[in-house]
Amino acid sequence: MEYSDLIRDFLDDADGHIKAFDSSLMSLEKNGLNKDIIMGVLGSLHTLKGNAGMMGYESLKNYIHQVEEILKQIGEETLELDPVLDMLLNSSNVLRNSLQAIGNDPSANPDLTEETLGIQMQLEGAAGGCGKQVVDISTYLGARTKTIKVDFKRLDDLLNLVGELVIFKTRLNQIETQLRGELTNKSLGRELNAGLELMGKTIGGLQEGIMRARMLPVSHVFGKFPRMVRDLSKSQGKEIQLFFEGEDTELDKTVIDELEEPLLHIIRNAIDHGIEVPKDRVMKGKDHKGSIVLSAAQESNFVIIRVKDDGKGINFDEVREAGVRKGLIQPDDPFDKDSILSLIFAAGFTTKEEASDISGRGIGLDVVSRNISKLNGQVIVDSSPQKGTTFTIKLPLSLAIIPALMAEAGGEVYAIPMSAVDESIKVREEDIHVINNREVIQFREKVMPVVRLDDFFGLDRKKRRRFYLIVLGKADKRLAIAVDRLRGQQEIVIKPLDDTFGKSYGIAGASILGDGRIVLIIDVMSFWNKGQALGHRGPGTATGGVDNV
Amino acid sequence: MSDIRLPASGLAEDILVNYGEKPREFHLVTFNLGEEYGVPINQVQEIVRVGGITMVPNSPSYMEGVINLRGRVLPVLNLRKRLRISSGKISKASRIVVTEVGSKVIGLLVDAVSHVIKVPAGFVESAPEEVLEVDTDYITGVGKLNGRLIILLDLEKLLRREKIEVKEAETDSP
Repeated sequence: MEYSDLIRDFLDDADGHIKAFDSSLMSLEKNGLNKDIIMGVLGSLHTLKGNAGMMGYESLKNYIHQVEEILKQIGEETLELDPVLDMLLNSSNVLRNSLQAIGNDPSANPDLTEETLGIQMQLEGAAGGCGKQVVDISTYLGARTKTIKVDFKRLDDLLNLVGELVIFKTRLNQIETQLRGELTNKSLGRELNAGLELMGKTIGGLQEGIMRARMLPVSHVFGKFPRMVRDLSKSQGKEIQLFFEGEDTELDKTVIDELEEPLLHIIRNAIDHGIEVPKDRVMKGKDHKGSIVLSAAQESNFVIIRVKDDGKGINFDEVREAGVRKGLIQPDDPFDKDSILSLIFAAGFTTKEEASDISGRGIGLDVVSRNISKLNGQVIVDSSPQKGTTFTIKLPLSLAIIPALMAEAGGEVYAIPMSAVDESIKVREEDIHVINNREVIQFREKVMPVVRLDDFFGLDRKKRRRFYLIVLGKADKRLAIAVDRLRGQQEIVIKPLDDTFGKSYGIAGASILGDGRIVLIIDVMSFWNKGQALGHRGPGTATGGVDNV
Repeated sequence: MSDIRLPASGLAEDILVNYGEKPREFHLVTFNLGEEYGVPINQVQEIVRVGGITMVPNSPSYMEGVINLRGRVLPVLNLRKRLRISSGKISKASRIVVTEVGSKVIGLLVDAVSHVIKVPAGFVESAPEEVLEVDTDYITGVGKLNGRLIILLDLEKLLRREKIEVKEAETDSP
């Protein structure tokens, strides 16, 4: 957030507090002492004081502090209300004037020393310490704000309505396509088509507008970490600098909220396990200060968030040994770097024999992968020894409406989030080979595991000579989901599935199509787990899918 | 429903004072599953025809699937399977009883909906101990009316137990 944004927020907020202060004072003037009102107004002033202090307006802060003191004493009945009421009413004008001065020029730091002294003198019984504050009549209106506060639920409801609109639009388009062949009046058909197209554009605009209204800059989450990094690094005798990049990249508020915890765990891991103590760093020829870079950037319909540290990197051998110890892999399994790295996302995974007080209890990174897959996103880790580790999180811009590929298998239609899909290919049964009891296909010089959707969900397998593979990509790994038919790409509105009967493994949610039918949305994460479990020949890793929380 | 007026406070205690301690009669929606079963009418939101059920893979066997109830994705429980009664076929008479239990809205697939009736409290007995098992505490009683037997179900217990069983099933599923 830019400094000017902060000032604007501060002024908007302050305006509300002054209004509350004013109306409380008027009520006190009219109805006499009422402790509830005093308590309420103290709350407003306290917030205002804190904000003023945070923004660096020291004098204003001190002044508000004195006003607070008076109100406290009135509340405790050690000071009488009537004699000081005028002064209090006057003080609200003082505050107004100061805020207006700040509004005109944020660098102005109103000096209220005299006014503060005036109040102190009055408190000590010396009457008439301060002169009356004269206000310009327009100041009573306060600053005009450009923002409004809206309950998030209202925006949520709006987005839901737009979601329904998108569904109806799809339905109308389907009807139009069906009609085209039957319609004898061709010009009417063209008009219908043009009308639908215009409506589609308007709905698109509406959808985008509402999505934008729900967006917040990622600085909202990023801003929560400097303090944590400072405290944790200090307690471990490390020197760490935290840098932000692209913190004004915007994301849906719900995504922002869900992002906090994964980032917390990743950053904590970078501090605990990544960055070395200054002595070691200097010995390795690195700067004695370590750095963690938190960056965000938008790429088409996704937001990429990276946490990059310049620490010692992940020790592959340690991870591998721990994986064997945990029974996640076999000692003689051949392994590439990525498969080893992905082990750190397994539940309860830790390379430490004993838990340290800060991290290494084996919780954390599994939460990361679970939360991110809940958001229909992906998390990828990359690490080079002695150079550092980078976590890359890829998220859809919004949670509620996502593009999805519709695929048919075993007579049912499922939706696969496009965020996970690389491409789709048409294959024949002969192209699929069996190695070690698992199905694979040779794809661009590489062997790629194949998971059949009908098998995965226990559906009847339809005999087909040709069918389709949906290729999922995660870093440079590939996995194919075999389906009978592709039904095109479509924007779908995600609805959660009721979990009264437990979560269904492999299903992330549901969506209602234009014709009223329900399609289930596939939880891509569980397919990766399945593919990996097959690959490792060991028991399936416990990450993702089943959510016992 | 019209004879039930909620106290102005809306507090559970007040409602219980008025109605909970000594209900004079049970107002039920009854349906057929071989035997006649009944659930309190105030837990029934509506009754809809069966159609367009989407099967949900990897879910418990008694989970029939989900339906689209005016834009809402509603889970449907196959009550026969849940109560471990030999399963019947979905027929023209089959219905989904949409119930509201706590904050949950859940559909119950039944063979047929029979009646909306009032059973005086005096005609309801607690179920005989011999027929109850450990996990059948969702049967609150048996209503006797003109020679008919109506088994009263406590939906809250029925659904709560689901959750526990599912949890257990989950641990060994994938």
